Amino acid sequence: MSSDLVRNFCIIAHIDHGKSTLADRLIQRCGGVADREFRDQILDSMDIERERGITIKSNSVTLLYRAKDGNEYQLNLIDTPGHVDFSHEVRRSLMSCDGALILVDASQGVEAQTLANLYVAMEYNLTLLPVINKIDLPAADVDRIREEIDSDLGLDPFEAIPVSAKLGTGIDELLEAIVKKLPPPTGDPDAPLKALIFDAQYDSYRGVVALVRVRDGRIAAGQKIRLMHTDKEYEVEEVGLLQLKRVKTKELVAGAVGYVIANIKAIRDIAMGDTITDADRGASEPLPGYKEAKPVVFSSIYPIATDEYEDLAKALEKLSLNDPAIIYQKDSSSALGFGFRCGFLGLLHLDVVQERLEREYGLALLLSAPSVRYRITLESGEVVQVDNPSLYPDPSRIAKTEEPFIKASIMMPERYLGSIMELCRERRGEKSSFHYLAQGRVELTAELPLAEVLFDFYDRLKTLTQGYGSFDYELLDYRETKIVKVDILVNDEKVDALSQLVHEDKARVRAMHYCEKLAETIPRQQFRIAIQGAIGAKIIARTTINAFRKDVTAKCYGGDITRKRKLLEKQKEGKKRMKMVGAVEIPQAAFIAVLKSDES
Amino acid sequence: MSPEAGLYVHVPFCSTLCPYCDFAVNLATEARRSRYVELLLTEIALRGRPDAPFDTLYFGGGTPSLLPASGLRRIVETLSDLEWLSAGCRVFLEANPEDVNEASLAGFRQARVSTLSLGVQSLDPESLRFLGRGHTRDEAVRAIALSCRSGFETVSVDLIYGLPGQTEERLRQDLEDAVALGPDHFSCYQLTVHERTLFGRRKREGRLEEASEAAQSGLFRVTHLVLESAGYEAYEVSNFARAPEHRSRHNQKYWTHAPYLGLGPGAHSFDGRTRAWNERSFFDWERRLRREEIPVAGSESLRGEELLLETLMLRLRTREGFDLDDILERFGVDLLDLNRALIDKSLEDALLVRDGSWLRPTLDGLAVADGLAGAFRLSPDPWKAAHL
Repeated sequence: MSSDLVRNFCIIAHIDHGKSTLADRLIQRCGGVADREFRDQILDSMDIERERGITIKSNSVTLLYRAKDGNEYQLNLIDTPGHVDFSHEVRRSLMSCDGALILVDASQGVEAQTLANLYVAMEYNLTLLPVINKIDLPAADVDRIREEIDSDLGLDPFEAIPVSAKLGTGIDELLEAIVKKLPPPTGDPDAPLKALIFDAQYDSYRGVVALVRVRDGRIAAGQKIRLMHTDKEYEVEEVGLLQLKRVKTKELVAGAVGYVIANIKAIRDIAMGDTITDADRGASEPLPGYKEAKPVVFSSIYPIATDEYEDLAKALEKLSLNDPAIIYQKDSSSALGFGFRCGFLGLLHLDVVQERLEREYGLALLLSAPSVRYRITLESGEVVQVDNPSLYPDPSRIAKTEEPFIKASIMMPERYLGSIMELCRERRGEKSSFHYLAQGRVELTAELPLAEVLFDFYDRLKTLTQGYGSFDYELLDYRETKIVKVDILVNDEKVDALSQLVHEDKARVRAMHYCEKLAETIPRQQFRIAIQGAIGAKIIARTTINAFRKDVTAKCYGGDITRKRKLLEKQKEGKKRMKMVGAVEIPQAAFIAVLKSDES
Repeated sequence: MSPEAGLYVHVPFCSTLCPYCDFAVNLATEARRSRYVELLLTEIALRGRPDAPFDTLYFGGGTPSLLPASGLRRIVETLSDLEWLSAGCRVFLEANPEDVNEASLAGFRQARVSTLSLGVQSLDPESLRFLGRGHTRDEAVRAIALSCRSGFETVSVDLIYGLPGQTEERLRQDLEDAVALGPDHFSCYQLTVHERTLFGRRKREGRLEEASEAAQSGLFRVTHLVLESAGYEAYEVSNFARAPEHRSRHNQKYWTHAPYLGLGPGAHSFDGRTRAWNERSFFDWERRLRREEIPVAGSESLRGEELLLETLMLRLRTREGFDLDDILERFGVDLLDLNRALIDKSLEDALLVRDGSWLRPTLDGLAVADGLAGAFRLSPDPWKAAHL
């Protein structure tokens, strides 16, 4: 097929604007799948993606479309994750495209992620085609959205195609526009091979299935290839197109989007964004786009049952086969036993990993409070990166501490501006500014410490804006800060799993919150239990659980002993899941309540 | 030296069923009552002579005072003839105040009863009504006074406290009234509402509200303070003696894991390792005996850790407490090492006191003996053992 008849494109949208539904409709219209095999959100293959309505892993599908000009076009739709945590995946997906549909909800309008992803698409010189979705909704206001497309996105509002992905309205017009307005791929089929790896799937039989966009040259089975960044060589076993399932082809030529199987064992053996070239006739320069995904949020994961540690280790290893963005290393806590210190791309990524571990591997887990990575300069001049409270250096040795800042972009109806500015101020926001968008909407930008966003910022935003606020961020830089390590003591014993690094202004509130949650969840014992929050030797918060004073049964003679012992044994069995801190038994539920709860 | 064993005889008859009692009892028909003594003698015969004579014989119930004097005497004499009882064997008998009169007391004396335990429960008329007892305050007072004059080595009074709505003041009055009568020993039981009793049903139906933990804790302490200040030493959670010789030699065997043999329906036996229990219903007990079978319904052989848990659970009920060295020697378990934080905290909070290698509960410790026993770690954490 001539590359003139190929279109590589993706859909950019804010979460919930109907990206997956639109993809479903395009697939159906092109006969990519029989109706009876069809299920909603067909590109979202993980349960978790369907349930949460989010796309985590990119997917790609090749559609064959016979246009009104009589030609059959090959449309490669590359699905992109919508969430900021997965922005590295978004970038790679965009790099493999020549055009993008900018999907805007007909009632919600332009949102933070629409804008953020649009900027990225512009960086890669993609041709943009606005699409207005959900025009069937009673609240739809196509004229207002056209105005936003003009003023907020700077795109031609009259090019925008109104559709209802749900009902299928406007899909034909959209397909014609894709063919007419999005450009065919450029590239030289006779130049040395350059193919960008934009994603990979793991197949337990075939190993790694790399999703690639061929820029120049061609790739076929039997060919010897080299990965330019990792500098490893492989022999291609199979190439083909992804038409929901893999369809083997003879070769992939410049302009094509498809898959490559080359006996690669684990996803961590390849680097996303790497360039495949021919081992013998190699390209001189790799394609741009290789960027390591850096974890920014850290948490320790422990199995609730200490004997599930080995299972957790295996599950993490398997999970990281197709999510190489997770990093993990052994960690241990005297209260919770052995676990792993893990790094995540963001809070949602952390959430998704936890849920996948629990659901797909049947593990019950405890996660320590998420932390950012602090950059600490010691008096000696040495610089250390600390994300784990247990590795926090002695404060007297610290010359300077810096924490990561983000640039947050929050879009909302104007009437919420005051309370959101207040929220940003509470969260130590700096340099906030805002500008009006179309139709009474405002975009607020502020520079915030990432650490402040880790604690229920998003929930608070949603509450304060009654669901109308949207949020996106990018990492900015490190800035000097004042961090303290808050320890939680139970009867003077430190509970290491509850220690955390907190800005000094927030230390007391956070400590009090922990103390209160523990007091609610630790059962009364035969001692009074003092729960304290402390910075070093200084106590900053305190609660107490009173002792029970009477539990002994009145009678215990020959006939009572066995029954009574069995009762104690049963209680002891229940206590196996409790953690001993000094003489105090702390149930798992207390850790869960403390670690899962929000601050508010 | 193995401790001397005790013999328990369960007399499963009552004239009325008490609404709080979950013991193996039934309303005695005349026919059953007359068969009981024969059946018990059959069980004695089937069991065969013990290795060593018993130094206590305890008639519990039920209502042993419902046994005809002749029957009681026959049982004791038979045991004596068969050389089951040591020379200094003490004989204990539980009696209801309404069964106490000069004649019955003489009968008990003839049956070598040395300790008489009177099921008074309360001297407060309202409490007696609530407890559904068959005697009045005056009958109880007369029974105590008469018993105390009748030459028993020890006269003990059983009381129940912690009734719904009972104030500390009313309990104090009840105790002081009983103390004034001068018995040698008290057993004071905090009311426990068992599921399979009339009180249990009322509780389920919301017609009976148990005293709160705070109230129970207060009443427990009042009981101990009143009796201790009147010269009765609490040697166990619910038992008080005017002098060491009045402590129940028989009941102490339960708390020290001494061996005991139980005869009669539902009675438990223990040989230091194995605990066995008789058929609980009179019907099954009788049926097994008629087939010339020892009427044991079940048994369990205790593993080391179970014995150790029982040791703590039982010993922490006694003022004597337990000996860490003895436990290390008998079980090979270093409790101190495994429970350093718990023991330190218990000493600091004065739940326990340390006396050489002994740990003894204080009054506050006795009050939470169950929780304390459950808190001890009896073996190293298997996870830690594997990883450290």
